[in-house]
Amino acid sequence: MAESKKMYLNMGPHHPATHGVLRIELELEGETIVNATPRIGYLHRGIEKLAESRNYQQIIPLTDRLDYASASANNMGYCVTVEKLMGIEVPKRAQYLRVIMAELARIMGHHLWIGTHALDIGAMSVVFYAFRDREMIMDINEEISGYRLTPTFFRIGGVAHDATPKFIEMVRDFVKWFPKGLDGYHKLLTENKIWTTRTMDIGTISADEAVNYGFTGPSLRGSGVAYDLRKAFPYSSYDDFDFQIPVGDKGDVYDRYLVRMEEFSQSLKIIDQAIENLPEGPVNVENPWISNPDLDEVQKDISALIRRFMIHAKGFAAPEAEVYQAVEGAKGELGFYLVGDGSEHPYRLKIRSPCFYLASALPRLMVGHMVADAIAIIGSIDVVLGEIDR
Amino acid sequence: MSMVRLTIDGSEVEVPEGTTILKAAEKAGIRIPTLCYHKRLPPIESCNMCIVEIEGEKEPVNSCAAPVSNGLVVTTDSKALHEQRTANLKKILKHHPLDCPICDRAGECELQDIVYELGIEDVPYEPRKVKRDDTYSTSLIRYWADRCIMCGRCVTACRDIKQIGAIEIQGEEENARIVVDPDKCKSCGECLMVCPTGALTENLSRYKGRPWLVKRVQTTCTYCGCGCQFELNVLDNRVIGVTTDVDTGVNQGSLCVKGRFGYEFIGDESRLKKPLIKENGALREASWEEALDTVAEKFKAIRDQHGPDNIAGLTSAKCTNEENFLFQKFMRAVIGTNNVDHCARL
Ligand code: SF4
Ligand code: SF4
Ligand code: SF4
Ligand code: FES
Repeated sequence: MAESKKMYLNMGPHHPATHGVLRIELELEGETIVNATPRIGYLHRGIEKLAESRNYQQIIPLTDRLDYASASANNMGYCVTVEKLMGIEVPKRAQYLRVIMAELARIMGHHLWIGTHALDIGAMSVVFYAFRDREMIMDINEEISGYRLTPTFFRIGGVAHDATPKFIEMVRDFVKWFPKGLDGYHKLLTENKIWTTRTMDIGTISADEAVNYGFTGPSLRGSGVAYDLRKAFPYSSYDDFDFQIPVGDKGDVYDRYLVRMEEFSQSLKIIDQAIENLPEGPVNVENPWISNPDLDEVQKDISALIRRFMIHAKGFAAPEAEVYQAVEGAKGELGFYLVGDGSEHPYRLKIRSPCFYLASALPRLMVGHMVADAIAIIGSIDVVLGEIDR
Repeated sequence: MSMVRLTIDGSEVEVPEGTTILKAAEKAGIRIPTLCYHKRLPPIESCNMCIVEIEGEKEPVNSCAAPVSNGLVVTTDSKALHEQRTANLKKILKHHPLDCPICDRAGECELQDIVYELGIEDVPYEPRKVKRDDTYSTSLIRYWADRCIMCGRCVTACRDIKQIGAIEIQGEEENARIVVDPDKCKSCGECLMVCPTGALTENLSRYKGRPWLVKRVQTTCTYCGCGCQFELNVLDNRVIGVTTDVDTGVNQGSLCVKGRFGYEFIGDESRLKKPLIKENGALREASWEEALDTVAEKFKAIRDQHGPDNIAGLTSAKCTNEENFLFQKFMRAVIGTNNVDHCARL
């Protein structure tokens, strides 16, 4: 019998299908993967360390750059953590606006996922439709914050400013249009023979194993576990909204695909409820030490000017305490462990990145499959390296 | 000294007789907001921010001035006190210009600090009926009349620390302002040091950098033998100002005009960087080796021809003691003359 020779293949860090700068060392026998080792760290910016030298407000833009595909969802996680540390109650209107932004971000993240995931497997056209719709959300972001990808619209204690009428109109337009857009993706993929062949029974993981690997988010739900922080530990008024948690049963690439496709609709449903029932009221806590006086006030009132100056230049202090708070990010449980030391800077900020756990399961998901399936598997867990490397 | 026991916010404190309630509270770790009080100055009692309640007394008292006595029961914070402090502060703020973004003191302004500390809100700006013009106390010190909160620290510092008394308050209520007698003013900048706000700023470092951007390097003044301590404010490797710390050095934060304002030479373009030799009436650059050789040669010639007492040495306060010692040693032992002097009065 001829001796089989192993081949080593270096996939990434600059491989279009590794979605960023993930590198995977593949060990192959023929075309079959016998071992896979993910290598991370290529996008390390030291966000956790940077946070230690910034004040609480200044850290918000750093969090946009975690899972940059769904920036507002990260803002949500960080801000609710600081608010828990400082014992701040965010006004209802701000909570709803936050929910709208976070769900739009989730949809944006899923747009990037479906576009690239399909593209990786060879379905070229999906990305064009997905990005057409993603563009609408980018415009909404731009309208409310001036930024398209990383809006940094959240503030400790609320949001930067109230929604404009144009914003509300744009969100409504999107809610109205998107079911049609989504339908288009379904038509292109869901019953497409090539798509199902490439994704069914690939990268299967059982519920137990997924839990053991620390899976959360759509990837966990694909294996049939109905765990979603928005339901399990509601924050920011999520318990006001009616929505379902879609789950798969087998836990293969196709199930994870279906779960995310359904999440599009569920997120849209939440946005629709939030925008139609947007409560009246302030969009930031009324607390002179934390809430940022708006520019109008600043031009007429010295105390507002001084407070704004102090809040920006120096920042406000958080108590000496530690908290952990997690939210349902687009990829799963995005958690922040925050230690305050009584100063304006955190003593430590540790980020629980859902993608880190998902990427660590890549060897388990890949071994035994073909090289081509590696691409489908990476796409199906939807990792973003900005968050893994931090 | 006999000790006095009193209770502040429920905790017992023992302090020497004659201590103020403010200092006693400090000892107990309790902070009372203050504005006109300054560590180095006697109590001025112009702001009424430091008010506290004393059991048995109807009106609150100014803790920065009130002495302790046995068995006092003091409350430093209550709703009534907070309201009164807020009202007092709002009165000060009412006409305050919206200047923080262009104010040199912003970031270490004590008025800002106390407004933020007390969480003051809702003070719509009311322009003054009579405008108070900005003036120059000296060519180096600008008085921004509108920013002045009339705390009186500058007046007290000039009178009590410097014993000069060049500053006085003129006018009543809204029209009050400080006025400097130019004949008396020595331009020492003591008033700058104690001013809690940006009402007195020095002209040299104006608009050059925010307080939190500069690196403060503590050093000794090089002008005279007093050895005052101060901090050079360095931004991008350039000295942009001088500040002092009241707890450091023999001078306790005070300086004279040279120490406070005479720092621009440090980064001056026209400073000599190489030795120059004069030849046929014109200066040319030379190496240190050549310059020292020339000087040694000429000294030797003068000494040999005309005698050592035809040479005199004048050294500088900018040198260290060791350098000055070596210098006189050199004059006496090598040149052979007692003609040595020192600027010390630059
Ligand atoms: S003196 Fe203080 S409060 Fe007034 S403008 Fe300057 S920094 Fe602002
Ligand atoms: S100039 Fe400064 S120190 Fe003098 S009274 Fe005005 S605020 Fe007080
Ligand atoms: S020159 Fe003035 S500031 Fe400098 S050491 Fe002498 S007295 Fe002090
Ligand atoms: S600090 Fe006591 S009256 Fe101003």
